[in-house]
Amino acid sequence: MASYMPRQVVDNSFFEHADETLTHALFRGVEKRHHVSPDETPLMMIVQAAHKLAERLNVNLQEEVDILMTNVIVPDQPFTGCGADVGRALGCRPDWILDQHNGGCVSFISMMAHAQALMTCHGAKTALLCNVQNAAGRLFAHEETRKLKQAMIPGDGCGVGYLVASSESPVKAIVQRNHCEFAGDMALVRADGSAWWEPSLACGYVDFTETKLAQIVNRANRVVPEAIREACRRANLPTSEIGTLITNQPNRIFLRNWREALDVPPERHVSTFERHGNLFGAALPLCFEEAIESGQLVPGNHLVLGGFAHAGDFSAAAVIHWRPT
Amino acid sequence: MEVNLAAIDRLPGVRRIENCSLDEMTSLATEMTHAVYPHDHVFGQFCSIQSHVDCPPEKAFEYLADVYTLQEWTYSLRDFTPMAGDGMVVATDRSGGGSTRIYLRVVKNREAMTVDYHCAWDQGDRLWMIYLMRVVPAELVLAQPGSVVLWTNCRHPYYDRNPFPEEVPQGRKIWVGDMWPFFYAGHRIELESLKRILEYRHANSLPMTIGGPPSRP
Repeated sequence: MASYMPRQVVDNSFFEHADETLTHALFRGVEKRHHVSPDETPLMMIVQAAHKLAERLNVNLQEEVDILMTNVIVPDQPFTGCGADVGRALGCRPDWILDQHNGGCVSFISMMAHAQALMTCHGAKTALLCNVQNAAGRLFAHEETRKLKQAMIPGDGCGVGYLVASSESPVKAIVQRNHCEFAGDMALVRADGSAWWEPSLACGYVDFTETKLAQIVNRANRVVPEAIREACRRANLPTSEIGTLITNQPNRIFLRNWREALDVPPERHVSTFERHGNLFGAALPLCFEEAIESGQLVPGNHLVLGGFAHAGDFSAAAVIHWRPT
Repeated sequence: MEVNLAAIDRLPGVRRIENCSLDEMTSLATEMTHAVYPHDHVFGQFCSIQSHVDCPPEKAFEYLADVYTLQEWTYSLRDFTPMAGDGMVVATDRSGGGSTRIYLRVVKNREAMTVDYHCAWDQGDRLWMIYLMRVVPAELVLAQPGSVVLWTNCRHPYYDRNPFPEEVPQGRKIWVGDMWPFFYAGHRIELESLKRILEYRHANSLPMTIGGPPSRP
């Protein structure tokens, strides 16, 4: 695992709703977050993180990337991802490039599942998985959008992970669940109601259906522990033996509720919410790296990843027996 | 015809000491007792809450039985107006936006100390949102003075699907049932308000009824 964090750190004074007591419980608890600057493109962030990863693992990326996958929250181009650009910048020639829009805040798990399938069925050996969250700097830093109560929550970052097919099979279980009945409750919107491709001077931002707040909270409380319990069941891991839990980190309420539901003590739930905010899809790889670096993830223990995406249209979980080589 | 107990014992899901040994019973109870219960399991279909109130049960009943006190202890029911004749009251539910009308009728039983509010958003022909409340003397159940107030709501299918879409005021996007997952929290907050108000009125010997639309300052 490796990461790139944007240079600019923004504290709460940047926002209109800096007074914590005035904001909704779902929008409290972030002390600072990173914002991308214009030169910090998804390509640049992934390349920086990938170089760090190659150095750390002593991997030759030019030779050893069969699968290259990206999930970028605000891509440079709406009709193509940056996978091919990353391949060019790293000098690698993957057999598979997948720029995926699905999976949102738990796209790291769905990318793991895709990589596992390609390794099992098509003989791929190595995969580079890249998550970029850049909605904070690109959408919520604008002087209009930063007034929104949810503007304090997102934070940017990039996390990359490297998967190698081996006989050890440390990935013990992956669960993916599509909840199509909840699709459409989160969207990129503009203040004037125009679509993103229409001419407009209005700012765009990510929003959710506020009249469904109670239902979104309720489904988050339900679908994430369900997916994690199912992954643990498939891996024959009692939830009491979860060594390290990492979830996406949309707000402190969900973080609290998920670990309570699984009876995981706070010290085993790794999160960077207070200093990084909601990292969307980048939360899993970034917290994964944090867990390794800080020593919280102990070799031989089980790491459990889980979370949900897009206000509930997808949930996923994975169990990894952590045995670094 | 008399009911045959042997037939009762054969009904699926009926467990009595005659057909379920004490061992089986404790085994089942052990299995059913979890450390943590998902919110939906507890509050998915029914929302029952309760509180102890330091106010005599007769006075708590008297307060609840007066439909106009709802504008005092509920979070958002306001502007109560009696309708002609039959005890129905129309009010505004400000949680649905300023133009949401709520129709209410109270059904009370002094002997059982039950007070049921039959209500509905937008129309008064079918009062399907029913708030069931009961006051129990705390002396009986907790061996202490005051009242225990029980409050239950059942998830009527209309919470999930508004059958009267033609009655929705223009521009309103929210439906009362959208908030069902917050009923536990919302009702807990309102029950706390009720408790504080009852205790305040009792402690200061204030009247326990409002009786009609209040005169506004």
